[in-house]
Amino acid sequence: MSDDIRRLSEELARDPSSIVFLQLGEALRRSAQLDLALRVASRGVERHAGNADAHDLLARVRVDRGELAEATVEWEAVLRLAPDHVGARKGLGYVLYKQHRLEEAEHHLGLAAEQGDPAVDTALRMVRRLLRYTNGSEPPHGPSPNGDRLAAAERRVEDEARRLFADILGDGPQTALLLDGEGLVTAGAYVTADGEDVAQDVGAALTGVRDEADRTVKHLRLGAWRAVMYETDVATIALGPVLADSLALVAAARTLPLGLVRRVLDRCIQRAESWLSEVV
Amino acid sequence: MSTPYTDVLSAVTRQRGVLGCLLVSEADGIIVEANVQVGIEAGVAGALVASLYRRARLGTDAAGLATVGFLQLEAEQGHVCAVGRDGLVLATLAEPKAHIGLIRSAMLRALEVL
Repeated sequence: MSDDIRRLSEELARDPSSIVFLQLGEALRRSAQLDLALRVASRGVERHAGNADAHDLLARVRVDRGELAEATVEWEAVLRLAPDHVGARKGLGYVLYKQHRLEEAEHHLGLAAEQGDPAVDTALRMVRRLLRYTNGSEPPHGPSPNGDRLAAAERRVEDEARRLFADILGDGPQTALLLDGEGLVTAGAYVTADGEDVAQDVGAALTGVRDEADRTVKHLRLGAWRAVMYETDVATIALGPVLADSLALVAAARTLPLGLVRRVLDRCIQRAESWLSEVV
Repeated sequence: MSTPYTDVLSAVTRQRGVLGCLLVSEADGIIVEANVQVGIEAGVAGALVASLYRRARLGTDAAGLATVGFLQLEAEQGHVCAVGRDGLVLATLAEPKAHIGLIRSAMLRALEVL
């Protein structure tokens, strides 16, 4: 048990009516102690039924447990209490997307974007792309897609995403990813020499660099940042911002000159921006 | 006042376009030695660059890509460069038109001396 979790548990034990359960539940969720997180969040909701953040916490724990229907109930409760709750809009958008209810997913993600959350920008564009491919040439608010058309649309989007940077990278010792605001892989691939796909792991590990870069340029008054490049023992990593929330990542063998890696990054950023911008 | 690191930093600040060079602790961003132009808040810059370098190093470790060497952040109005070793980060702030190749070489040489 981490020091934080122990401290928060003791604090909640001293005062069971405290809203410190929100921090404790989140800490447990992040450390993958989902049974304990569920217990803490459920008790929190019982004691604080009118607290939107309590329902939001319970919903996020439910999603992590794969209980999408229960999560939906909680996020709907959040929106009854706080109709402008961005977290609930994002959460419902995610759940509805997973349930292939694309129009409804687009509705909630669109509202989250309107409320100023740039982290949903890429997710919203991907849902709209799926809708466009599912509904043919019809606008996004067309009829609900049937299973076959949706499956075909998903395959088409996956194929486009996988091949997005292929012609830029060629057969060279380099790879590229497009990461969304949550650090999830939107496009590209990262396969190790032994054939293991580590794209999600690499994306999750490196996406936090964006926040640090944002903070650095803001406080040092350097304007917008264009690239972060660093050399490791085995590779050169280059990161660059894409639209409001996304990140392009290029990893290349150390044998490639830094300048070449930078040019590859620029081309990947341009490609990603034009691909994402095809759907507004 | 001269410290054991003064000459190391001077070798970097001599490069054209360099606005300042700092040696900071990676863990907490505390400055060990700094040589920056007037107007640059060394404490803020040191803390930010140490944090950026640390985040990159931890992310790279987690991704299984081994140790971070030279790091460069390129922005509209300047560059931030960093190299690290044994819990210390050597950070350089430079103008947009600075020659990053020369700065990189100077920083890597300086790192060997640290």
